[in-house]
Amino acid sequence: MNAIHLDNMTLGYDRHPAVHHLSGHFARGSLTAIVGPNGAGKSTLLKGIAGALKPLEGSLRLQERARLAYLPQSADIDQSFPISVYDLVAMGLWSRRGLFGRIGSSHRIAAAIEAVGLGGFEARVIGTLSGGQMQRALFARLLLQDADIMLLDEPFTAIDSKTTSDLLALVQRWHDEQRTVIAVLHDLETVRLHFPDTLLIAREAVSWGATGDVLTPSNLLKARRMIEAFDNGASPCSRAA
Amino acid sequence: MTLSRRALLCASVLLVLPTPLLAQEKLAVVASFSILGDFVREVGGDRVSLTTLVGPDGDAHVYSPTPADAKAMAAARLVITNGLKFEGWMDRLVKSSASSAPVAEATRGIAVLKAPGGHGHEHGKKDKHGHDHSGQADPHAWQSVRNAKLYVTNIRDALIAADAAGKASYEANATAYLAKLDALDGEVKASVARIPAASRKLITSHDAFGHFARDYGIAFLAPRGISTESEASAKDVARLIKQAREQKVGAVFLENITNPRLIEQIAKESGARVGGRLYSDALSGPSGPAGTYIQMIQHNIRAIEKALVPGPA
Amino acid sequence: MGMNLYQLFLAPYVEFDFMRRALVGITALALSGAPVGVFLMLRRMSLTGDAMAHAILPGAALGYLAAGFSLPAMTLGGLAAGVIVATLAGLVARLSVLKEDASLAAFYLISLALGVAIISMKGSAVDLFHVLFGNVLALDDQVLLLLAAVTTATLVIMSVIYRPLVMECVDPGFLKSVSGMGSTVHLAFLGLAVLNLVAGFSALGTLLAVGMMMLPAATARLWTADITWLILLAIFFGMVAGYGGLTLSYHLDAGIPSGPAIILAAGGAYIASLFLGRQGGWVWRLLPGRHLRG
Repeated sequence: MNAIHLDNMTLGYDRHPAVHHLSGHFARGSLTAIVGPNGAGKSTLLKGIAGALKPLEGSLRLQERARLAYLPQSADIDQSFPISVYDLVAMGLWSRRGLFGRIGSSHRIAAAIEAVGLGGFEARVIGTLSGGQMQRALFARLLLQDADIMLLDEPFTAIDSKTTSDLLALVQRWHDEQRTVIAVLHDLETVRLHFPDTLLIAREAVSWGATGDVLTPSNLLKARRMIEAFDNGASPCSRAA
Repeated sequence: MTLSRRALLCASVLLVLPTPLLAQEKLAVVASFSILGDFVREVGGDRVSLTTLVGPDGDAHVYSPTPADAKAMAAARLVITNGLKFEGWMDRLVKSSASSAPVAEATRGIAVLKAPGGHGHEHGKKDKHGHDHSGQADPHAWQSVRNAKLYVTNIRDALIAADAAGKASYEANATAYLAKLDALDGEVKASVARIPAASRKLITSHDAFGHFARDYGIAFLAPRGISTESEASAKDVARLIKQAREQKVGAVFLENITNPRLIEQIAKESGARVGGRLYSDALSGPSGPAGTYIQMIQHNIRAIEKALVPGPA
Repeated sequence: MGMNLYQLFLAPYVEFDFMRRALVGITALALSGAPVGVFLMLRRMSLTGDAMAHAILPGAALGYLAAGFSLPAMTLGGLAAGVIVATLAGLVARLSVLKEDASLAAFYLISLALGVAIISMKGSAVDLFHVLFGNVLALDDQVLLLLAAVTTATLVIMSVIYRPLVMECVDPGFLKSVSGMGSTVHLAFLGLAVLNLVAGFSALGTLLAVGMMMLPAATARLWTADITWLILLAIFFGMVAGYGGLTLSYHLDAGIPSGPAIILAAGGAYIASLFLGRQGGWVWRLLPGRHLRG
């Protein structure tokens, strides 16, 4: 009944593991932060869960018919493309409406835009948005996707604190709605304050569970000692789970 | 005794050996395009080993010589060109192939026909030697059989100059061929006579029939810009259609070197018939209707007569 | 001049069938080329369009070699070549260290040389020019039918893939995460581009067909940033250029060939828009006016 189940999963590029031998689960409706030093494999893990990367070894199972929404680290968005905020947000409905369905529910779109604090920006071309405004728009799109599992990769990096707190409120709302939310974060304070569960990884799981239990000084020290670079002369990994 | 007989045998063998080689050595001649090539073959016969540069259905106006051509030029003992600036690329080819062969112009001594101004056209944007007829001599002199006879005598003389030993052969061949040309000339005149005087006008896409027009009395309308050039302006096409309508031109002819669709469109709009193909600057392949010069002229005049004589299409 | 408006603007088309046909053909090209051109431009693939136009050449050349100036042969040949080059370029980009622009450049250059060589084998430089430049004044029923079919197909397919196409342009990652249609849409769009180039090629030749796609789109961009308006304006500019170029080629004594005249007209509109366009036109930049209150 778990939202996501990982079984000795290894993800990487060109046979070098970015994160390996990961086993565990994300319970339904949980709100988990993924933390770790740079290069620990956090983004890679999220990509693997989102289905953008196939595991090198091991497996990954999602709950049945789960709708996934994935917000990548720096969305590869072409901001020079001439569409409005409204159109960008409306994309969130696309997967349910298909090619031709009328995106009729304009009030839902408007509501989403309001919810992220971008009321009045509907007609603006996305090229004119600031970093914070763009992130809000992307959150509005996520809202409309109405997904069961939400994956956020460093959603608050390089954003002002007002936007951050507004969006965190949204994340809390999703948690209240029983959606499973997983977010990669850097700021441990934010994690301690807002995220009940944490997974600390450093190319492999260091600790996974309640935030208070995971983010201890000894765990953090262990994680910091992980080796960042891929070992070009590495031999095949012989370890079992 | 044995020694001297053997020596005699050797000597005679040695003397005899080169003779067949000598006897088989033909005069290497290069002709610039297919029509000239045909003439050279008729006059030269077996004594000549001929290379033609621009082959059947080729366009000598925009021809780009290949390395094989340069090789042939270097090996040649005689080069025959048309002259009258027909082959803009020939001078460069002679220089680059370092050929020491004499270059004979087949049109030497011809009564030059100045193409009327405004009938010029450019051939291809890349060809620096843009072939503009306006105000210059019309080089398609072979279209008149009378001129063709002059071509033949010029070629005969050039061959004799290059290969004096063959004089008798060349003269005999030329005379025989000239007689055939005379008959051809008569044929064309008779054909034209059968066309009612008022109908003796047609449209082609190439300004190549000036000599034919002058010597046989048929008016050829060829517009500027609609020839071997790639692009026509609407103005030229419109002008031509108007003219064809006003003068009630009977037939429009395609050519073996241009895009047929435009000509068909012009024919449709001016009410003229599409007369078929005329061969202007090149012979057809040997299996085609215009494999030799005589066949070419015959084909052309028969097509013209058929199109212009009123009657069932 | 002494010519009244009727003589200037309508008479050529009333009087001559070939002018009417040319106008119909060019209008069809403008109609279907515009949306394709707009998207090519927005996706920063303007030069890709040009490259594809050259890539088509050997296919059309083979068709020509097999059947002379036969429309079906050259069209099918061109289509095949375009699809092959687009696919190969994509494959090479995916399977090697080269990015798509380099691999496309490599293939289209090979393609172009191949095409020139093939045509030179059978025909002369003249035939090459006919294939390269086409002839907009000789659009027979066959060609017009082809143009009409391509226009219809383009408009239908574009309206179907419009949404995912926009998504694929703006946020391909998002499209990938919500649907697998990404590559299908990408290929369908490329296919449409090739189709339009092949169709345009019998009227304008390979070199100029891409002009009818890209110039109106670039011109429209100087007037608006809204997608719908971009497409509408591009169609408008394309048609105006077609009509203008044809009429100019008809009236001017200098005798400008019609194909280039049309592209020059489109180019003229573009240059004028650089100065006068509402979106950053240079004239407007010189007189900015006071900024607004909020």
